[in-house]
Amino acid sequence: MKLKSFFTFSALTMSAATYAQETTTSTPLQISGSVDTYYKYDFSKKANIGTSFAEDQNSVSLGMIDLALKKTTGKASFVGELSFGPRGQYGSLPNGNGEGANADNSFHIQNLYTSYAFTDKFSMTAGYMGTFIGYEVIAPTGNFNYSTSYLFTNGPFQNAGIKANYVFSPKVALMVGLFDDWNVYKDVNGVSHFGAQLTVSPVEGWTAYLNMLTGRGAGAPGTGSIYDLTTAYQVTEKVKIGLNAADYSVSNDNGGYSGAALYLQNAFTPGFSLGLRGEYFKSKDIPDFDGSSVTSVTVSGNFKAGGLTFIPEVRFDNGNTARFVKNNLDPTKSASQFSLAAVYAF
Amino acid sequence: MLSKFNRSNQIRQALQSGGFLFLLFFMTSASAVAQAPKGNDEMSRDERGKYIHYEVVEKKALATDSLKQRALGFLALKKLKAIQQDNDEIRATGKFIVNKTALMLAHPSGELLYNFTFEVKEGKYRFWLTDFLFVPYKRDRYGNFVPSTPKGTPLEDSPGKLNAGEWGSYVETADKQSTTFAAEFKDYLSAIQKIKTPGTKKKVISTKSW
Repeated sequence: MKLKSFFTFSALTMSAATYAQETTTSTPLQISGSVDTYYKYDFSKKANIGTSFAEDQNSVSLGMIDLALKKTTGKASFVGELSFGPRGQYGSLPNGNGEGANADNSFHIQNLYTSYAFTDKFSMTAGYMGTFIGYEVIAPTGNFNYSTSYLFTNGPFQNAGIKANYVFSPKVALMVGLFDDWNVYKDVNGVSHFGAQLTVSPVEGWTAYLNMLTGRGAGAPGTGSIYDLTTAYQVTEKVKIGLNAADYSVSNDNGGYSGAALYLQNAFTPGFSLGLRGEYFKSKDIPDFDGSSVTSVTVSGNFKAGGLTFIPEVRFDNGNTARFVKNNLDPTKSASQFSLAAVYAF
Repeated sequence: MLSKFNRSNQIRQALQSGGFLFLLFFMTSASAVAQAPKGNDEMSRDERGKYIHYEVVEKKALATDSLKQRALGFLALKKLKAIQQDNDEIRATGKFIVNKTALMLAHPSGELLYNFTFEVKEGKYRFWLTDFLFVPYKRDRYGNFVPSTPKGTPLEDSPGKLNAGEWGSYVETADKQSTTFAAEFKDYLSAIQKIKTPGTKKKVISTKSW
């Protein structure tokens, strides 16, 4: 029924767009999205590595179909983006209402917000938005590697809230906002988080985002604060370097994590690129329990054929403790996997 | 009996939803096929092998300064950037947006950056658009289409067999949009500017008497 309602809404919106095209201040309704599927094989024959997506072992499995709508009328705009499929239904947060068969089954809202540009420099946005924290995103079209980093898995996915953006110059911009708890459609303990993002573009091709988000979630033992640096530099037409470093801590010795991931990519041709991701991730010590760390190296290829991208990938993870398992279920410090994904963007 | 009825009803509803999804997917795929280029390589190239749109226009009725001022006005109107003047030459940079269309729906799939040059002599002028770079767009985390890289790929680069079709459509777009740009540019330079009298007010229409 939800699907049916969604498409009825889409059809109505499309009709509205056709009418709206006749006015000069409107842009046509944009519709876009992606579809992805993958195969993964862990060499221990057990699903081992804690990537958010691509978790099924020795199976041709589905990612999700992602559908996004965007419309701008004058200074106002909206974005609505929904995903369906295992990643949207079971791999993302939030989920069903916890009752019976609907416990962990729902389509997932990736973005649902409205925005108003008061001037060319100042705009405000309210709703549910992809998080401003971190380098990687949920939609596979936004990532070079198919498996995800530990920093992505442990950080926020989305933030509901209201935010103001001001562009001081082409090189500097600032966002400040008030947000709900991480990954929820509504906040039961009030609008509890404050977040900010400073964007700096010192030279052409280099952009850095300094992010922070702090607040106390419902039922949390302390105030959680995350400080994040996300930066990317397109060195040449072919070479790109990216870096993500983050520190998250919950007050009163309630843990957190810290880590960094380096991304190196080279486009050998317009249709083929190769990329390396190296990551170090450590969960923080809490009283009577030492946090563990893991180092991960991922090599991915991107073969493009029109809207389709094939992503063959190998990944090696090594922990300081035996956090993985061998084929016979004995604990081990290392794990490795191969995956092949197909992602189509439209 | 009742449960059987409910089940078939559920199946019918599921099929209807699935059918709509299939139709949507089919429409999108069909449009992608429909927009597949014809391997077009008709755009002219210059002596360097670069794609170029080049025109020489005879305009004996207008003075050099007048043509130059009008050219500058047009570039400002079209929001071209890095406008530089040097004697009788004007250089600037601009971009065309490449749209992927699906029936009445569309979204930008990239942009074509170009260099524009204008030269004027007594009685004639010439202009050209060249050095086209393609910058693909990607959807960012907020659902907006943004350049995926700040550095474009020259339109003359070989994209490989797998991407030749799509790349051909970018060349075709560069050709079409350059032709449209050139037509507007020539119109603007040849247009007779209307003289606006300061303080002229629009006539107020009275409906009281008729």
